[in-house]
Amino acid sequence: MRQWKIIAKEAMARASIIGKFLCLLHVTDAYVLSSNHVLGPSMLPTLNITGDVVLVEHLSHRLGKLGSGDLVLVRSPLDPKKTLTKRIVAMEGDKVTFSLDPTRSHSSRSLVVPKGHVWIQGDNLYVSRDSRHFGPLPYGLIEGKVFMRVWPPSSFGLLGE
Amino acid sequence: MGEWSRSVIPIARGLCLLYLTNKYLGTTVITYGPSMLPTLNITGNLVLVERISTRTGKLRPGDVVIFRSPETPRKIVCKRLMGMEGDQVTYIVDPKNSDRCKTIVVPKGHVWVEGDNIYNTKDSRNFGAIPYGLLQGRAFWTLLPRKDFGSLAPKPR
Repeated sequence: MRQWKIIAKEAMARASIIGKFLCLLHVTDAYVLSSNHVLGPSMLPTLNITGDVVLVEHLSHRLGKLGSGDLVLVRSPLDPKKTLTKRIVAMEGDKVTFSLDPTRSHSSRSLVVPKGHVWIQGDNLYVSRDSRHFGPLPYGLIEGKVFMRVWPPSSFGLLGE
Repeated sequence: MGEWSRSVIPIARGLCLLYLTNKYLGTTVITYGPSMLPTLNITGNLVLVERISTRTGKLRPGDVVIFRSPETPRKIVCKRLMGMEGDQVTYIVDPKNSDRCKTIVVPKGHVWVEGDNIYNTKDSRNFGAIPYGLLQGRAFWTLLPRKDFGSLAPKPR
């Protein structure tokens, strides 16, 4: 009987260390820095079609230090279970000029980004589904800023303009 | 140094647990403003909000929900859910001036929210359907003031 008690106590102690570590990992992941696997053709040539692992920081969007030209990770307004990686083209109050389908026509439209929203576009305008299709994105859906790529090792480095 | 850390660690653990509960189970929210009269008071109510329904997608029209405002991203707003994606919603466009109604279909990935006090509220009739990702929780119980203690009605009035 006493044997089990000792074993149980030691198991609890080890489990609590693991629990504390996971807690710290979760808080860092949600509020400081996390990694993300992004794939798809909509951000060529910046991000590869077969998949990249990028580092995402979660501080800038809370402090309001995002601007146009930043790569961001956002929750999709069309499917709340999915996240998208796109580039901010215009912040609230800016005028944005865009063409819906660059392959078909040269006509373009412009509008002013409403308050509390941002305009995001993929770098590969021909295949990207972005604000040109679902409209300006509410700022509250932004989850973080992509600033660095860590995989594949040949393209390791900071991601900028 | 050892003594000091002995009292800080339980506090840190407690805060950690509180944070996880707050983020994933439920929290309390103080609401104020006239937009949800008569369900919620103008001067303030303390309501219990649970976060499980929004994560599992088990919300239904008639639930009172809190969400991040699409116009002011730092503000949390409380309104009633009136339509999920694909639902047809009929609403009075400007109740103070006319009885004109409009019917729209809520787009994919969005929800339609309205305040109970349609004469004095800014809701989906002003800023359109909001993306589901902005929802933060479902308010299901009023704690304060004492006379309003009880479950929040699942259907409007």
